[in-house]
Amino acid sequence: MRAPVCLTLLAAAPASAFATDYLTADQAQRLMFPDATSFRAQDLALDSAQMKQVEQLAALPARSVHWHVIAAYKADALLGWMVLDNVVGKFELISYAVGLNLDASIKQVEVLSYRESHGGEVRNPAWRRQFVGKRAPAGLSVGDGIANISGATLSCTHLTDGVRRIAAIAQVALKK
Amino acid sequence: MNKTILAAATAALFALPLAARADDAALAARIEQLAAELEKLKAELQATKAAQAAAPAAVPAPAPVAAEPQGPATVLTGYGEINYNRPVHNSAGAQADARRVVLGFEHRFDPKTKVVAEFEWEHAVTSADDAGEAAVEQAYVEREFGHGIRAKAGLFLMPTGLLNTSHEPTAYYGVERNFVETAIIPTTWREAGFGLSGETEDGLTWDAGITTGFDLSKWDATSEEGRESPLGAIHQEGQLAKSRDLSVHGALNWRGVPGLLVGGSVFTGKAAHGTDNFPAQDARVTLWDMHARWTPGAWDLAALYARGSIGGIGDLNLTLAGNPTPVPSAFYGWYVQGAYHLPRSGDYALTPFARYERFNTAARYSAFPAGLEPQAGVLQNVSTVGANLRIGEGVVLKADYQKFGQDKNLDRLNLGAGFAF
Repeated sequence: MRAPVCLTLLAAAPASAFATDYLTADQAQRLMFPDATSFRAQDLALDSAQMKQVEQLAALPARSVHWHVIAAYKADALLGWMVLDNVVGKFELISYAVGLNLDASIKQVEVLSYRESHGGEVRNPAWRRQFVGKRAPAGLSVGDGIANISGATLSCTHLTDGVRRIAAIAQVALKK
Repeated sequence: MNKTILAAATAALFALPLAARADDAALAARIEQLAAELEKLKAELQATKAAQAAAPAAVPAPAPVAAEPQGPATVLTGYGEINYNRPVHNSAGAQADARRVVLGFEHRFDPKTKVVAEFEWEHAVTSADDAGEAAVEQAYVEREFGHGIRAKAGLFLMPTGLLNTSHEPTAYYGVERNFVETAIIPTTWREAGFGLSGETEDGLTWDAGITTGFDLSKWDATSEEGRESPLGAIHQEGQLAKSRDLSVHGALNWRGVPGLLVGGSVFTGKAAHGTDNFPAQDARVTLWDMHARWTPGAWDLAALYARGSIGGIGDLNLTLAGNPTPVPSAFYGWYVQGAYHLPRSGDYALTPFARYERFNTAARYSAFPAGLEPQAGVLQNVSTVGANLRIGEGVVLKADYQKFGQDKNLDRLNLGAGFAF
């Protein structure tokens, strides 16, 4: 249980220090899984075969072995997962969370923190809704299923790539 | 203590100094290294816990420090373009130019406060005998107030058109910037002052500010400069800028439908600044634009209209009658552009494009006595056809052909290499 302790701490990291914070991880998980009665952090460690599969599926480097996954439960029934991640927008980090259904389709994407001067339009709900219901990799690239945001090309491309990577991880390592 | 170490190591994992646009491979290697260290620490923790289990526990573990992901405080940025222009009917006019190289930095003092600066060299060599120019392109501090509201102070880019705030060579089609957004909107246009920006959840971005403006007393009626770009001839660029009269600006951009941007901006301010013996003390410069960009699938479609006016210049123009370049009271331009992203091939992405633009830098002169009116400028049109070849994210090679409707001697082939990071 040691690793989950740390992950829980990360997931619950207070957001108040960033003026550009929009949601805490705690708020995001409740927004994504309003029916959940409990959330459990789990340490997802990809083995090398899984990392290769993720790379093939997402057409991106798998980037990391360890991923911060929070499983949502209603009583003992697993509802889905939320994966927390950061990507570089243009110059700075975008913190975001991807909600996933049991079939590894995307349930929701939430931007937790955005720190750039420009490109904050990735928060726009209409833009984020483009991800909902999709499974890696179909329709999860800018220009192919996800519309570009004019003036925020780098932020929306990098965020889209990040979501596609997480969707691939869900297919390879989480899907029930 | 070991828990603290473990938490700190985990924090370090997420506080990786992510260099701007660091490539994923280097990042992965770094993360893997930290992951290995984390595993080692876990093993040590397990061993320590086992030892503690044998001895009576005395002190509860201290509360771990919460970790917050953050990038490096200081990021180096830059862009540049080296261009080659070859007039097809006048090969003696062929020219290669290190058009501009810009280096900049962004430094975050704290999570809410940062400074952004960019320094530009144009035309390679700058000295008393050379054509080059060195300039501070931007230098401003910005403070965030939550919910996307930001205030900035210093020298910053006006939120006008599609190109001015997004002017890196990787961001636009064609070797050269379009004519409308150089002749009518004087990209890269910056002013010194104070600005506020914000965005709403439904995709509306707004900007408002009060800044320096133009200095009409700089107008040189004997030079062609004012005919090439009326505002480019009288901008101040934060250089000992006359500031008795301040200007105001506002911009709205809506991105509520994915792939669509619709926006507009307006800038207005007096431009005489009480200059001694200047005959147009009430002169006012106004510039507005409307623009749209739509990116359905692989298409990238854009259109822009910009119009400027200089009012209150009757007495000034009376003194300039007979000179080649009096002050125009109106100037405008528009363009439409279409580009198509061909399927990527590895790191390579080819995007053919076509653009048609019309512009007139002197659409109207006013307040001249009968018989002395200068001839209004010509409505020019330029067609551009070419392609951008992106290599990865930060490099672009460009080639295009430009046909000038009014003077075919200007028709030219352009080649360019650009980068941005």
